[in-house]
Amino acid sequence: MSTRNRKTTFAGTEGELNAMTQELDEFHHDTGMSSLWAGVSNMIDGMRGAEVATRPTSRRTFLMGAGAAVAGGATLLAVGSTPGLAAAATRAESRLHRADAAAFPPAGYKGDLAVAAVAASLENLAVYAYNAGLTAATAGKLGTVPAAVATFATTAKSQHTQHAAAWNAVLKSNGKRAITETNPTLTPTIQAAFAKVTDVTGLAQLALMLEMAAAATYQAETSQLKSKAAIGLSASIEPVEMQHIAILYYVMGMYPGSQTTAGSPIAFSSTSAAA
Amino acid sequence: MTVDPRALAELLEESQDLQADAVRPTHAALDELVELRHSSGADDVAANHAFHEEHQRGLRASFTGATLLGAAGGMALVGVLASAAGASSSKDIQVLQTAASIENLAVATYKTALTLPYIGGATANGVVTKFATVTMGQHVQHADAFNSAITSLGGKTQAKPDPAFVPVVNKAVNGLAGVTAAAGALGVVGLALELENIAAETYVKDTTLVSSTSNKALFASIMGIEAQHVAVLLAVQALLKAGAPQLISLTEPATVEALPTVAGSVGFPNAFYQTSSAAPANQGAVK
Repeated sequence: MSTRNRKTTFAGTEGELNAMTQELDEFHHDTGMSSLWAGVSNMIDGMRGAEVATRPTSRRTFLMGAGAAVAGGATLLAVGSTPGLAAAATRAESRLHRADAAAFPPAGYKGDLAVAAVAASLENLAVYAYNAGLTAATAGKLGTVPAAVATFATTAKSQHTQHAAAWNAVLKSNGKRAITETNPTLTPTIQAAFAKVTDVTGLAQLALMLEMAAAATYQAETSQLKSKAAIGLSASIEPVEMQHIAILYYVMGMYPGSQTTAGSPIAFSSTSAAA
Repeated sequence: MTVDPRALAELLEESQDLQADAVRPTHAALDELVELRHSSGADDVAANHAFHEEHQRGLRASFTGATLLGAAGGMALVGVLASAAGASSSKDIQVLQTAASIENLAVATYKTALTLPYIGGATANGVVTKFATVTMGQHVQHADAFNSAITSLGGKTQAKPDPAFVPVVNKAVNGLAGVTAAAGALGVVGLALELENIAAETYVKDTTLVSSTSNKALFASIMGIEAQHVAVLLAVQALLKAGAPQLISLTEPATVEALPTVAGSVGFPNAFYQTSSAAPANQGAVK
């Protein structure tokens, strides 16, 4: 019997749950990252009595995992903080060497945990791209940057950081290391696209490519994941990536919703861009 | 303007390919549903009844939490809904029927809104009119997809709007009589926003409720589209409230440069999509 199918429940009393909830709230106030903790808390709630990947889960391990994941994200951002897009692409190359596409997800990451690793790597790539874009914009390399576009990039980057932290919390709570690498399959594509970006429109198109890959991946995985909590987490993130897509289209002066390359709105989102 | 017929044909073909790809999950879902129906035998009546009872409790709880339902004095509706909701259908059928009922209500709401001069008339903002028209069409397709899935599972299709929300929508629409165009547009956007958010939240939650992989895929292919509707309506609402309807435009780049800072983030207020306003799973089930 596969270990990932083993059924587990939260191994604590209701009182312990309440205490951990209070701890969660305090941690939340300390960090000011309300959305992250709300999302992770919801996921933990969803795991009560639900099937999880490998071993019993406590709120404490989730909290610690999430905190470590945030730290990992900060490290990644430090790597991605470059003065321009060309330099960002060079740094991305160095990350690619650390995350070999053929060896990703790492050995031992099976089933839902493999999906979590891929999801975290995609989120890392998005954070990295937005960070590099913002750095280039600040340096004046993209011409005039409308205020709304800068706000979009800053907010989207923050949300992708929270998504990565949530997936890494899942990994840490299951005894796996957090994924701090960018997705090795898509990183070369993003590198190539970066090299061509000279203005805000180009950056928006690049962001659109990333958001579409993330949304499509979550859409595809929502029906493939086994753990109810993982399904819930994936389903709670996909619509947010889709919202990023809608607003990106809007700021690019296009119809604000998923569409064909010819610009025709579509009623059902596609999984063709899934990683 | 000259048109290159070959380029146009290529674009049309590409568009059709993409559309086919987009609806493929739905078709695959329906195929799998048929197979599932054929292999599953009789429904588990006890399990279906338990699901019905569980979500009746959720229904009662929702009346104290949801803005729309609270405005309607929703407790009086519980008895009506209790008799309308079916306990004999499978869990997936009940969830799908509720989803179809939400889509039917959205279609009716946009259809009514488009009869208003400031939404669908000559004086209306062109982007708003196009959005309402396109979105209504998308909800028609969603309702069709949910009803096709229901039929494949042997259930009764849902042609009616969600019974819990109908009085509220009617009240909101009636409240638009005699108001200014600006106030009316804001009222319509607010109503649409709430309906779209309920749809998105409901489908996010439904991905964890339905048992079939194909049904999960179906909900996953629609929930993001509804969330996009929410994002657009949030942005439109913010611009209307700011007294800047002229910025609801797709004439980039001049308009984008004029957008207020908040326009870049108002459309996605949460990093994780919530489910606290999700409709109870069997609220729109057919008896």
